[in-house]
Amino acid sequence: MGALLHLTLLSLKLNFRNRMAILYGYLFPLIFLVAFWAIYRNDPVPLALHVGQLLTVTILGGACFGLPTTIVSERERGVWRRYRLLPARGWVFVVSILAARAVLLLTAGLLQLALAFAFGMPVPTHPFDLLLAFAATAAAFLAFGMVIAMLVDNVPAVQALGQCIFLPMLMIGGAAVRLESLPRWAQHASAFFPGRYAVEALQLSATGAGLSGAGFDLLALLLIAVAGGVAAAAMFRWDKALTPRRGWLLLALGMWAVVGVMAEARGRVALSAVQDTRDVGTAKDYVLPPKPAVAAPASWREVTDADMQKIAFDRLPPDEGIVSPVSRGDETPDPAILPQLDRIRDALPGWAPGTVSDPVQRARNLLAIAAVPDILQMEQVERFVPRLVFARLQAVIPPRDLPKILYWIALHPDAGSDAAIHRLGVFGLPDISGPTMPVRGRIMLYAFKLLGRLAGPLPNN
Amino acid sequence: MSVAIGVRNLSRRYGAVQAADGVSFEIAAGEIFGLLGPNGAGKTTVVECILGLTEPDQGRIEICGIDARAQPRRARAKIGAVLQATGLQDKITPREALDAFAAFYPAPLQSDELLDRFGLREKQRAAYETLSGGQKQRLALALAFVGDPQVLVLDEPTARLDPQMRREVQDHIRVLKDARRAVLLTTHDMAEAEQLCDRIAVIAGGRIVAIGSPRALIAESGGTLEDAILRLTGRG
Repeated sequence: MGALLHLTLLSLKLNFRNRMAILYGYLFPLIFLVAFWAIYRNDPVPLALHVGQLLTVTILGGACFGLPTTIVSERERGVWRRYRLLPARGWVFVVSILAARAVLLLTAGLLQLALAFAFGMPVPTHPFDLLLAFAATAAAFLAFGMVIAMLVDNVPAVQALGQCIFLPMLMIGGAAVRLESLPRWAQHASAFFPGRYAVEALQLSATGAGLSGAGFDLLALLLIAVAGGVAAAAMFRWDKALTPRRGWLLLALGMWAVVGVMAEARGRVALSAVQDTRDVGTAKDYVLPPKPAVAAPASWREVTDADMQKIAFDRLPPDEGIVSPVSRGDETPDPAILPQLDRIRDALPGWAPGTVSDPVQRARNLLAIAAVPDILQMEQVERFVPRLVFARLQAVIPPRDLPKILYWIALHPDAGSDAAIHRLGVFGLPDISGPTMPVRGRIMLYAFKLLGRLAGPLPNN
Repeated sequence: MSVAIGVRNLSRRYGAVQAADGVSFEIAAGEIFGLLGPNGAGKTTVVECILGLTEPDQGRIEICGIDARAQPRRARAKIGAVLQATGLQDKITPREALDAFAAFYPAPLQSDELLDRFGLREKQRAAYETLSGGQKQRLALALAFVGDPQVLVLDEPTARLDPQMRREVQDHIRVLKDARRAVLLTTHDMAEAEQLCDRIAVIAGGRIVAIGSPRALIAESGGTLEDAILRLTGRG
């Protein structure tokens, strides 16, 4: 144990003496963070929706580049051959280097989070879950980093192979580019990369419901970690002169395929966890307790001002938050999303579900146009769409009826049809799959919020 | 005679090449034993088998009475080694390396003692990458001594050293003899082998073709030790 600790501390010490290691291990993740912050500078909550990606990239870089680079370079110069002469079991050396790397990853992640906090990112909703997700991600990638280290003979080969893993994971694996902005084929491809599960588990821990909603992600990461660990152990070599047993690579990569197939089989790919499906409560949560003598209205036409006054608008999620955001009236959209907003605005008049005869269903359908981007967390778009919908609602529903209808929809989120959410392609919005209950929850929130603007309690600036 | 290294019928094949073929010898405590032969003769294979770096196809290896194949870690605890194709991290210092290696032994020698003995005191905090070739070789020797080993396996320990450094290393090896340590030495330097070794095994084609004192081998060839080796390995 003393030797293990000694070697681990020595590995850390040597790492901190290596300028390139510091550059890749600490500076690179911070640069990545600043880049994300710059790209998504108009996010209502800075970096919050990208923390999973940022941490994944950090772990990926440290595990698939840093770790094998260290091992291969030491093996090349005969350090490991020298270690082999010591009276200790081989795992001591492997564990020490993995432990040191885990410490480096953790400190790099903490540094990244610290800077993110400085930029205004809120504290993670489930810090312990985040730590667990971080550990599972690190295990999966470190195991594969070991496989790379055993497979290749020299440092340039590490860089080449690492890039082969790194770049696809960044571009189509969900690690750097959000899945919903990728074509469907890439979303399916991402199911076969561990990066997707890492991002999901970390993101859900940081801003979502925690790991309780990321069981499959954790399972995927652990399966990939175990397969990679077994493969790396079987391929282990002290000396570059020894030939690695490359066949074991199939186990490591095979598990990626198995996990991908499992995800496809359970509809995992379509049920993108980048959707923000957190529970937003029920209508009762936003209504003051009824007085016993007052009966609830039997139809939307019977809704009165007194009914509306019972709504606790102050309990609604803030407009600047992640759930049901609404842009300010004086806010200018990023030019990058103007085409999308124009497309929605132009398509609204001709959208059939927005012209159905039943005014309640008509309003519900229109509200779905705001709810779906919110669920999909479509960056800035989701904040501006509610204003387009609001304008359209005011155009197609008489002013006297609109507050009552919004009240009715808000108080009856489960009523009516939600089929319209599958007819959003005309707006350039993706189809949403899986249970529609979360969408209905967001329709409820937007009904409340728009009602609040009509009824007065919420500012309509 | 107390046997420090016992090798019996050791064989190892790499594909079509029989790198070691029924190699047997014994080295006593306090004996310096040379393993000489041309490149590719099988010296490295035999050394690596003794050190546990290579698993032999067959044969028995005992280190101070310990079956090295059955109990490799116990055996390695008795051995100190200097190999050619080994190195250390660029940024590690001699003291850090000695301290780290000492952590693996139950009763290691003090790093300070080794730094003094091998003339590394002034460089104790210098990065490995800044050491000269001779300093690196002295550090390799110091690391071999960390565990206060009963057996030293030195694979061309004076190769690429300048004459002064070579003499220093040779002096260290002589001290080992006085301390009753067994030394297995491989070298291409015939003068060094003649001066240091009590006995020499000549290996060719993976087989031991002769074992004897340098004087006996020279006498048999009627020339120099180099003549003897060349004749025994079929190159003379």
